[in-house]
Amino acid sequence: MNLPPRSPADVDFPIDRVEAEHVSRREFAKFLCLVSGGMAVGNGWVAIKDQLFPPFRVEGEVFVCKTGDVPTGGTHPFTVPGSKIPFILIHLNDGSWRAFEQKCTHLSCAVYYQPDSDKIECPCHHGYFDARSGEVLQGPPPRPLPRLEVVIRGDEILVSEARGETLS
Amino acid sequence: MSQFRQAQNQAHPSKTNTLVLGIICILILILTMQIWLLTAALNTALEGDEGIKWPAFAASLALFLSGAALLRYLPDPMRKATKKPPLPPRI
Repeated sequence: MNLPPRSPADVDFPIDRVEAEHVSRREFAKFLCLVSGGMAVGNGWVAIKDQLFPPFRVEGEVFVCKTGDVPTGGTHPFTVPGSKIPFILIHLNDGSWRAFEQKCTHLSCAVYYQPDSDKIECPCHHGYFDARSGEVLQGPPPRPLPRLEVVIRGDEILVSEARGETLS
Repeated sequence: MSQFRQAQNQAHPSKTNTLVLGIICILILILTMQIWLLTAALNTALEGDEGIKWPAFAASLALFLSGAALLRYLPDPMRKATKKPPLPPRI
């Protein structure tokens, strides 16, 4: 049988480019299954990491500052020994105190307190939290801000782990 | 030899097409549920809820295994029709 002569390019590159880039439906189905396996592994990683490395808990009561250091409507950033998580102490307009983690639960941007509206705002994507409870009022944050319990002893402000809550 | 398979293919020419598309649709559905499980597990774990992560992992693993089992039913690639060799001349 006489075959047509092949050009040198065909000899050097025997696989056609269109053929090489073609993704068949069989390959696509297998790729979907591979991604599905990745999802299962990711879910396992979340479970194992949470089991082996539990969230940080504040031990006992930690001194933050004196009551006179923060005026009404003011804030005071602080950290807790043994952790680098930034917190914010808020002196609300009605005179009460709150302490929250300063990282937005969306993408960890630093949040700040707005005394005019009595809300905590995340400037990155305009997420708003309630300054009293830390609940999400608006925007993309999926969870409320982790909260610490504020204890006033004389003129000292101390914080402790909020009951039934851990910090991420 | 039975002509059953050949006759069936002639009667339903798009059979493998439907099968592959069905499997792909089910796999996409599985993947969507797994994404939902992953985000739910992550959110609840970060919130301090201990009760979701392991059931979510078990469900995600079961979905993956069912998807992998579905791949067994992927039809083989179409083979080009082979020419039958000519019959030997009768003596």
